[in-house]
Amino acid sequence: MPGRIRTTKKLAQRIDLNYFKTLRGIPRWRRILSGVFVFTGLGWLGWHAIAGSPKPYNAGPLAHAHALLGQKCGACHVSEASFRESATDQACLGCHDGPIHHADQTFTPACSNCHVEHQGAFRLASTSDRACTQCHADLKTTHGESKFASNIRGFDSSHPEFAVLRSGYTDPGTVQFNHAVHLKDGLRGPNGPVQLKCGDCHQPPDSSNRALMAPINYERHCESCHPLQFDRRFSESAPHKEPQVVYDFVHARLVAYIAAHPAEIPLVDEPDKRLPSRPPQPPARNAAEWVAQRMADAQLLLWRKSCKECHSLSYPNGFDALPVVAKSQIAARWFQHAEFDHAAHQMVRCESCHVKARTSRETSDVLIPGVQTCRECHHAGRNAAEARCFECHTYHDWSKEKPVAGRYTVSQLR
Amino acid sequence: MRIDRTHRPWAIATVVLAIASTVAYVIYALETPGGPRGGTGMGLTFGIAGYALVLYAGLLGARKRVPTWRLGRAQTWMRGHLWLGLLSLLLILYHAGFAFRGPLTLIMMLLFFIVIGSGILGAAIQHYVPSLMTSRVPLETIYEEIPHVRAQLRAEADQLAAGICGTLDGEAEEHSSVAVEIEHDDRIRFRDIYLQKVRPYLNDPESKSVELADPLRSGETFEALRRLLAPPVHGVLDDLESICEEEQQLSRQIRIYRWLHAWLLVHVPLSIALLVLGAVHAVVALRY
Repeated sequence: MPGRIRTTKKLAQRIDLNYFKTLRGIPRWRRILSGVFVFTGLGWLGWHAIAGSPKPYNAGPLAHAHALLGQKCGACHVSEASFRESATDQACLGCHDGPIHHADQTFTPACSNCHVEHQGAFRLASTSDRACTQCHADLKTTHGESKFASNIRGFDSSHPEFAVLRSGYTDPGTVQFNHAVHLKDGLRGPNGPVQLKCGDCHQPPDSSNRALMAPINYERHCESCHPLQFDRRFSESAPHKEPQVVYDFVHARLVAYIAAHPAEIPLVDEPDKRLPSRPPQPPARNAAEWVAQRMADAQLLLWRKSCKECHSLSYPNGFDALPVVAKSQIAARWFQHAEFDHAAHQMVRCESCHVKARTSRETSDVLIPGVQTCRECHHAGRNAAEARCFECHTYHDWSKEKPVAGRYTVSQLR
Repeated sequence: MRIDRTHRPWAIATVVLAIASTVAYVIYALETPGGPRGGTGMGLTFGIAGYALVLYAGLLGARKRVPTWRLGRAQTWMRGHLWLGLLSLLLILYHAGFAFRGPLTLIMMLLFFIVIGSGILGAAIQHYVPSLMTSRVPLETIYEEIPHVRAQLRAEADQLAAGICGTLDGEAEEHSSVAVEIEHDDRIRFRDIYLQKVRPYLNDPESKSVELADPLRSGETFEALRRLLAPPVHGVLDDLESICEEEQQLSRQIRIYRWLHAWLLVHVPLSIALLVLGAVHAVVALRY
């Protein structure tokens, strides 16, 4: 019996020519699944459309400040067809003002150019450096030249040295102070040797405002070691005020004293070693003369020694008239165009940044740390402190902020 | 489709376009305040280009439906599908700025990754497995024809068996309608063996429990049958063994076919869903 013979003809005859009209197996399931996936997707979108929820099209979670508007796309996005994704400035300005940066800026970016939404719960003010360097990398003003550095591309690379540390700039303060002397070991204090620390004098204005240090205050920081003593008969000091006030205070005290002790009028005082040597004064003949003699000594002690130790005094009306004390001009804020927060840096030792403080002897020394000191911590990279522009600088000039009339009701936002 | 030298121009063009896109993206990302976004001019350009490539890749399915249309060679379309489809992922990532936080965009990106991943897997399978089919299934037939061919094989086997033992439904016949003259006992034995071993296998060739489904055990079984039955039946046994072997090859073809095409169950439906959702995303995003 012959075996099976498989000829081409026989094999061809096996084929059902209508086989392609019916889908089986994988092609069939492919078609079914295609329909299922597409209809599932469209069903999901349709369900949200019917429910009036724009959730599927949300481009990402909103910042905390806008969380309330999560499902109200139309609050920020225009509803007209356009080739833009960003919210309009008009939408932003409807709720909050955005004062201009500088009056002479040549370019004002759109709000969304810098403040990128749908990035999650972070500060919208945390803008990219590019938002700033798009102008500051090649700064132009409407007047041409700018008084600011005009080629800044980032804090790491091209940020200039702080203005107060550039050549020719000195501390404008007129109160003579020697940091080196005051920080040395065993400084003579009112009750024996003391070791002063930075925080003994440099303190924030109050516990709720710890960003900047308050100017030094005589009563709190100086008086205990530098009292304004004007006469040995009085334990109290003269007030740390204008010369006329001091004069009136001392005069009143002396008048009151001699009125209470008339027997001391003819007595002559022992020479005060703190005063320059001079011939002993004759005994006073009456209370007025006694007061005049003691007033002369007190002024000598105050104007020529105690006050002069720290202040610059001038005598425009003659040496017999009251002196004029130069304004102290202690800087309360060194960075005029940047923010600094001491509280955020309190884990760092003061002299770690203010490296010259311990050796500074001149009032004119600027003890602000330089940009390089900041860069030790603030630089690019994961394990570094924030180094983007917004960390120190604010774009909007909030002093020009205008109030905005609210446009929502509580029920609209609910 | 094998990834061979004919793919080189496509690969080079894809790499060049990818490098150019990357350079453009890096500049754009560095220069854009707030970082790259889909709604910027450059972001939209990347999005439109990426979606166009996705659309082109998706048109391969439509192209296959009209094989007679003069739209270029199917192989060219497939090469374009492979390489430009791959490039589309890069462009869409650049469009999104590597961020997909919204529900729809997140779903689309997941679909995209699955589609591209399944596509790469499919390309690898299509590169290596067809040679396996050629070597392991010499009697390969059209996949969709397999049930039809199997029915024919079963009919052929029944016809061969009937030639030995007459009708298979009733008692074994003794009259001259049979093709081979053998002892009545042998006829009954053959009929029993056919109905108990061969026919069940031909009825359900995919059943694992049937011993003829295993090529080794099948050979041993037929060898034992040859020893058991008279020599005049051996020719029919050879033919039945040949039919069983063809069945085994068809089973093997089904397994290999599934390997070759199962990934399409993921790739194609998700691609279509991606195209549809992409169109919705484009309309909604451009509106707002």
